Amino acid sequence: MIRYTVRRLLEAVPILIGIVTLIFLLLHLAPGDPATAYFNPNVSPEIIDRMRENLGLDRPLHEQYLRWLRSFFTGDFGYSFSQHRPVADVIRDALPNTLLLSAVSLVLIFVVGCAVGAVQAVRQYSALDNVTTFVSLFVYSMPGFWLGLMLILAFSSPAMPEFLRLPISGVTSIDYEFMGPIERIVDRVRHLVLPSFALGIASAAGVARYMRGSLLEVIGQDYIRTARAKGLSERRVILKHALRNALIPIVSLLGLYLPLLFGGSVVIEVVFSWPGMGRALYNAILARDYPVVMAASFLFGVLVLGANLLADLSYAVIDPRIRTD
Amino acid sequence: MRWPRYSSVMAAALVAGACAGEPPVEEPDPAAVPAAERYGGTAVVAGLGEIQTMNAFFSRDYMTDQFQAYVLFMTLLRYDDELQPEPYLARSWTVGPDSNEVVFELRDDVYWHDGTPTTAYDVAFTFDRVKDPAVPYPNRSSFDAWESAEVLGPHKVRFTLRPHADLLHGWTALPIMPRHILEGTPPEDLATHPFGTSEPVGNGPFRFVEHLPGDRWIFEANPDFPAELGGRPYLDRLVYRVVPNETTLFAELRSGGVDMYVRVAPVFVDRIEADPDLRLVAYPFPNYSFIAWNSRRPFFESASVRRALTMAIDRSEIVEVVRHGLATPAAGPVGAWHWAYDSARRPLAHAPDSAAAILESAGWRDADGDGVRERDGVRFSFDISTNESRERASIAELVQRYLAQVGVEARPRIREHQSVIADVTSPERRFDAFLLSWTQGLVLDERDQWACDRIGKPLQFTSYCNPELDAVMDSIPRATDRSAQEGLIRRYDTMLAADQPFTFLYVEKRADALRRRLQGASPDFRGELADVRSWWLFQP
Repeated sequence: MIRYTVRRLLEAVPILIGIVTLIFLLLHLAPGDPATAYFNPNVSPEIIDRMRENLGLDRPLHEQYLRWLRSFFTGDFGYSFSQHRPVADVIRDALPNTLLLSAVSLVLIFVVGCAVGAVQAVRQYSALDNVTTFVSLFVYSMPGFWLGLMLILAFSSPAMPEFLRLPISGVTSIDYEFMGPIERIVDRVRHLVLPSFALGIASAAGVARYMRGSLLEVIGQDYIRTARAKGLSERRVILKHALRNALIPIVSLLGLYLPLLFGGSVVIEVVFSWPGMGRALYNAILARDYPVVMAASFLFGVLVLGANLLADLSYAVIDPRIRTD
Repeated sequence: MRWPRYSSVMAAALVAGACAGEPPVEEPDPAAVPAAERYGGTAVVAGLGEIQTMNAFFSRDYMTDQFQAYVLFMTLLRYDDELQPEPYLARSWTVGPDSNEVVFELRDDVYWHDGTPTTAYDVAFTFDRVKDPAVPYPNRSSFDAWESAEVLGPHKVRFTLRPHADLLHGWTALPIMPRHILEGTPPEDLATHPFGTSEPVGNGPFRFVEHLPGDRWIFEANPDFPAELGGRPYLDRLVYRVVPNETTLFAELRSGGVDMYVRVAPVFVDRIEADPDLRLVAYPFPNYSFIAWNSRRPFFESASVRRALTMAIDRSEIVEVVRHGLATPAAGPVGAWHWAYDSARRPLAHAPDSAAAILESAGWRDADGDGVRERDGVRFSFDISTNESRERASIAELVQRYLAQVGVEARPRIREHQSVIADVTSPERRFDAFLLSWTQGLVLDERDQWACDRIGKPLQFTSYCNPELDAVMDSIPRATDRSAQEGLIRRYDTMLAADQPFTFLYVEKRADALRRRLQGASPDFRGELADVRSWWLFQP
């Protein structure tokens, strides 16, 4: 297991270098550069040239690449052109917000998805199954940003009763500073509800579909019939024998959904004004803020590879038939 | 992303219900609240864009400029509502007999928020950095004619300069920076100093509290702000929030999370006006939208053809449909916000028939009957590039329709903003026509865009050249008083309108939406925050 992990980690290194190299090339192939962000009749071209010079953008491409790579390997992510501060600070501020949002969504995806899928499987072809199937397909096909906007409109509407009002943007309230510790936690949780729902609900619907199929397959197995024949209660049959086996293929979905979550966070963070990595990356691409784009894509790469590894490892832990070596 | 119909119906039903159900309440009058009772509260200003830095040497957008000049720092002078400089950090100034020397007398009761007095040394320091080639201060051209600074006393500083028009303009836009904090930093490292983003120290009506990047800036009232300038602001706190999606921003405004939504998207205008809790303030703003014609293309060589294209485009309809009335069709580059604007000027009228006749006489005829004119085997068919803004995409489509009516084929080409900029500023001018808008300076010196000797430089997009116009543009900055300038600026405006190197589409009316509880705010072309010291919250 340890050897397997180490091997996977070593394999990740060339992949990550490939990712950053590709991103670097794509970025510099795209038209424009950070200095063109100053497109303005009042800024003279000489100032723009000076800016290019200060940012090192007048150097040949391979030189810029090597310079970036060198400082990157010494742990220096460089300096954000558009935010006027070190990239390390940009990440320090934004990454926790994205991880928090993704973690909450992930819990939502698997808890809600598995619960709904299990209920559907147990009550196959019942009215409940049909209704939840319809609803989950409906939710599954909804774009996250649209759902987000609808939630924002609904929850900001004057028709919404006061006790149901939830914050529609940002991570904390304006008076957060003046709150006590408990109030602060409540405030943060309230701010998480809508964005994590919008980010996760479509995937939760997806997981529910998988869960339903997986559990139905298990329920049809001989050992379930045996368990029933032993006279176990249906509850025990499902919870103890069927569910655990049905969950095995679901775990592998983790590796599939995490990249989706990080990708989705770009849009959701813009809609909900959530100051996370997704938005930082999006703004950086628009502003051609190369160092931020590079660092952010590298981090997303690490997160996705890490998630895949985690999924494979947990697969091995849950299913004793799978050996990692 | 339009507001769904049902929610406005719901809102309307609610308003109607409220009106029908309750007896009319006596409107409390904010003007009746005495000044002493106006103190307190937090006002939240929100916009789509991030405010990146409080370092005035690196400011790059309009809201950032405002927070620096009006909130955290002080400029030497500020503009009154007729664009005349008035004292601010400078108590008074004297201009030498030949306009080659200016002496500023500073206030002696202004302190940096860390307690250090603001002095003439700060002014000289700021000036030196602005002039330093290692510092890419975007508005350096305002100080081109300013040569050197000499501190005459703790609150007195003398500048030598070459005489020029709008002598003092640069000082209304340049916040004075604290020497005692920034002096030790080499000029080329100023951009990376944490002063700009995490520990700014100002001397203006508000003090810095906190910056949560990507989220908000928090400021609090400066109790030591000079009484002569109004003293401590009424507000306890001022917060700027970034809300990057306009629907979310409007929802926040409507539900009370935001007190002012700056530069409202035109689609919300009707709903703001219908909402009793909101008010809309609209004013002419130095930003205009235009179509630039690449005069290196055979279609756009002649001024009469370019005029015909302008006449074929119904700009009033564009203003109504796309801007919901928040704009005025433009005659030339000088908008109603400018003091030299001639209110008698009329933009070229929408006249598709005359436009067609002009094209016909210029030799552009539709001989093959395919609906598109041609001349010498060249079809009058070209691309209009624009960025992915919804507003501009709609304009491009309308223009396509108008031009089709006069036998000209325009194909909208919608691309990411930076890609468009890279093409239109390239030396080889990789575009036929493009549609964008931009914000002008309050002092009009636009030689970079029009002068013959700037052809090939990034901002001379159209390669248009008129030596007569060059002469006028060169004499504007040399005219040292406004009466001499007025005629020149008006000539500049009419000459460009006659030649139409651009089709000047419209001058924006910038509009801000305010919750009614926010009092004392009257945004105009100087910005939303010019009067922030006297904002207050009315809570009946």
